[in-house]
Amino acid sequence: MSREKGYTKQNFLKGLFIENPLFISVLGTCPALATTKSIEAAIGMGILFTIVLICSNTLISLLRKLIPEEIRTPSYIVVIATFVTIVKMLTNAFLPELYSTLGVFISLIVVNCIVLGRAEAFASKNNVFDSFIDGIGMGVGYTMALCIMAFFREFLGTGGFAFGNIFTFIPYFKLQIIPKGYEISLFTTPVGAFIVFGLILAVMAFYKNRKAEYQAFLQRKERQRKAEEAKAKAAALAAHKPVEEAK
Amino acid sequence: MGNSKKYILTAITLGVIGAVSAALISLTNLVTRDAIEKNKIDKINKGLAMIYDENSQFSEANSINGETKYLDSYYVASKNDEKIGYVFQTTGSNMYGKISMLVGIDLTYNIGNVYLVVNEQTYAQTLIDNYVNPLNDGSRALEDVSCGATYGAKLVRTMAEEAQSWAKENLK
Repeated sequence: MSREKGYTKQNFLKGLFIENPLFISVLGTCPALATTKSIEAAIGMGILFTIVLICSNTLISLLRKLIPEEIRTPSYIVVIATFVTIVKMLTNAFLPELYSTLGVFISLIVVNCIVLGRAEAFASKNNVFDSFIDGIGMGVGYTMALCIMAFFREFLGTGGFAFGNIFTFIPYFKLQIIPKGYEISLFTTPVGAFIVFGLILAVMAFYKNRKAEYQAFLQRKERQRKAEEAKAKAAALAAHKPVEEAK
Repeated sequence: MGNSKKYILTAITLGVIGAVSAALISLTNLVTRDAIEKNKIDKINKGLAMIYDENSQFSEANSINGETKYLDSYYVASKNDEKIGYVFQTTGSNMYGKISMLVGIDLTYNIGNVYLVVNEQTYAQTLIDNYVNPLNDGSRALEDVSCGATYGAKLVRTMAEEAQSWAKENLK
């Protein structure tokens, strides 16, 4: 039972960090570059994406034993497309500003590699609960990654953060941090998106390399210590003395 | 025989998945249809008010006579019971997606403000930021379509010009 509990937590957390779909697997980059102009748009895209991923993962896992091998991929596409269409219609009806902002990128969730990838790699091989948790983890991980990108782009590109433009049910407010005229509008363009994405990946690669180097250093130290110990033991044996005395 | 059974099973599975999907989408359509229609009308009203001003009145949508490529209907705009111009509802698409747009035409047949009701272009925001907004505040000319969303801008231009020429010919 406790192992199962630990697995669920690990299953959820892997989508956030170890297997983050955007920053680690570099999947779903097209909407990530297009919809991260503002934090609000990124949150909106992330929520819609997460809903589609959770629903498709759950249903595909539920049907995994019924779908014949030959029509696996077309069936998954039909399931994903259905959920995307439903989410699109609901957004159009109840969140029209979000619908206008995300535009064609809502429909493009159908061809997002992450959704089909999780269906193929995880949901088709695991039970419903695990697939559901995987959907939440991957969805939240993707949303988090979109928000990190949007944070830098909106801050540098507009000089602050605005809320209430897309989610019109919250009152509009703008937090201007960089004085007007000093913002770098390049960051609101697709070029800026590529620059921010590249820099984040570079920082992550740097951190990963440093971590690997540190691990290698620790291993080297450990090997050295063991070698010295073995040497001392050998010297003690050669002198027919106990190890403690030799030390 | 074994193969036939397999094919039938495959066809049935796909058929069932397709039918359930269609049923779910139909159900969602039933729930959202009215709200989507209301949003569309609200957006058109917002666009009409933006093209002239909030105190203007508009007629019911009039149908377009004759063969046109992009024009759907037109509204007559008035203020204090005096006619001030027309607003054309247009719809067009290219390889980058669909645009539905309101075009203001004044009584001397000049193109005024434009408002995008539906903008499904891939470069949607670029089109608005670099072409439509500058067009409306007068800092860009309709002819200049090099804006980072050139094909969308060309479509906007063609639709606006069709509205202008139709108005010239038919609304004398």
